[in-house]
Amino acid sequence: MSGERNPLAAIGPAAPGRRGAPGDRLLFKTFFYSFAGFLILFSAYLFLANLDQLFVTEAAVRSREPALWEENRKVLTSFAGGFWQDPYFWKSLNLTLMITLITTLLASAIGIPAAYGLSRYRIPGKAVIEVLFSSILVIPASSVALCLIVMFNYGPLWDLQQRWGFRFAHSLFPGMVIASFVLSFALGLSAWKAAFDSVNPRFEQVARSLGSSRWRAFRTVSLPMAKSGLAAGVILAWTRAMAEFSAVLFFCGTFGELPPERFSTLERALRIDQADWLSVAIWAQIEYGNVEYGFALAYILVLIGGLSVYAMHRIGAKGYIW
Amino acid sequence: MPRGFFSRGHVWPAFTIALILAAISFYLFLIASNWFYLGWSDTLYFFSHPRMWQRFWLTVWTSTVSMALSLLIGIPAGYALSRFSFPCRNLFASIVDLPIVVSPAVIGAFLFGITTRFPFDLIGEHYHLYIGRNIYGVLLVQFTVTCAFCARLMKASFDMIPERFETVSRSLGASHFRTFFKLVLPMARNGIVASAIVVWARAAAEWEGLMLFVGATEGQTDILPFAVYLDWNGGMMGWVSSMTLVCVLMAVAAMAAMRLIGGKSRVW
Repeated sequence: MSGERNPLAAIGPAAPGRRGAPGDRLLFKTFFYSFAGFLILFSAYLFLANLDQLFVTEAAVRSREPALWEENRKVLTSFAGGFWQDPYFWKSLNLTLMITLITTLLASAIGIPAAYGLSRYRIPGKAVIEVLFSSILVIPASSVALCLIVMFNYGPLWDLQQRWGFRFAHSLFPGMVIASFVLSFALGLSAWKAAFDSVNPRFEQVARSLGSSRWRAFRTVSLPMAKSGLAAGVILAWTRAMAEFSAVLFFCGTFGELPPERFSTLERALRIDQADWLSVAIWAQIEYGNVEYGFALAYILVLIGGLSVYAMHRIGAKGYIW
Repeated sequence: MPRGFFSRGHVWPAFTIALILAAISFYLFLIASNWFYLGWSDTLYFFSHPRMWQRFWLTVWTSTVSMALSLLIGIPAGYALSRFSFPCRNLFASIVDLPIVVSPAVIGAFLFGITTRFPFDLIGEHYHLYIGRNIYGVLLVQFTVTCAFCARLMKASFDMIPERFETVSRSLGASHFRTFFKLVLPMARNGIVASAIVVWARAAAEWEGLMLFVGATEGQTDILPFAVYLDWNGGMMGWVSSMTLVCVLMAVAAMAAMRLIGGKSRVW
């Protein structure tokens, strides 16, 4: 027939045969799965392989000079440095949770309306604003922290602090909030903007054409529609605040060794005196030689981070780095 | 009569825009105060010093190498995360995300543990390669932090391409690999380039992991963000401020380049 003379007819039936070849699909899937598997295994190995750091070995006990430890703390030779018996740990956890809570509330109160404005309204120089906000996320944290120190400890703000007799830097209350706010706000803003971007503005326009004000359209239409994305952004901002390290280290330093008189009555009543930011405490304890104790605190941070990122995936978070 | 800007319908937009302006002026003041502190003549002095540029090029090449390694793993892994389904998806996604969301100082401590263990000790012994307080340590820290980040960015880039194109391509007889290389990769090119720039900037910004895991050797492992910490401890405020300026310029340039390319890189 005419079909046999057509050269395409020879290729035609061969194509589905090639597609269905058993090797191709299997090889393809194996190739790509292996990279994803490498990533998962690497990450899991990284976090699981260090579990034995929590156990104190005999050699470690013998190599340590008991004189190096303070007198008021017994030599930490139990499992994980006996961190649950140490008030320093509970105070640090208390301090970190309290400060990150304040930071997250502040960041959401400022960031959600700002993200809405950035997503909906025309602002002159918007491209520059977006580039600046997104570059905050990839500026090294040490540089951001140093900028904080220079901003608050030199120039006009320093004169202001001298006159009013208080300090931003090296203080628990404004200092740590500022240090953890800077980066967590920028990350939260990107997530909140993405949440508002994913809501079709048409619904709001309909609400406005039916007579509601801009605020009412935001509150009754956009906010409920972007709810899950906003919640994921709040979790993201909180996680970033918990993961903050260098800004707190530069801007606030450590408080664990300071005398109790250095802290106010309120700080002592809240049980956040003589405590460190959790990730700074990990660094300080490992540098000091309390490796098991430091790793125990690190695993607590990993647990908190893992739970919050799992919650974020369940909710279904979206975020841009524009 | 035209309505004034603060009349009834405009209070909410004015409020949101005022918040944006307040936030952006805070961040601008944050960056600008550093430069005002340094001053013009000191900027020229430190920028003309070879010590600065030696550290700058060290940062550039280490982060370029770790970006290349991350892309090598991240592009296929991102494609797999985007297209294939597997059980306990949220759990595995959370495990992949852990190195991004946990404090990088913790990552440094954990790398400290694994380099003395099974695969790394054998590799190191066989190739006489020491991964630790040298440039390989820097690369490992940067790779660990950016690899998962890269995979997430790539997943988002591939998510934006409709799966229908692939189905059509395969129904026309192209093999899976041909579809990936001839169709998916070219379509995702903008997203991949934009993500690569973000990954590069993120690798160039990494330093907390270095603090516990690598430590400092002058001229060998002190990439710019880490050198900021070292010179800060040494009290050399001029160096610290000028290097901060370079880091900020690098980050802003990378983000501006990403925007010019027009790629949108999503993380989550």
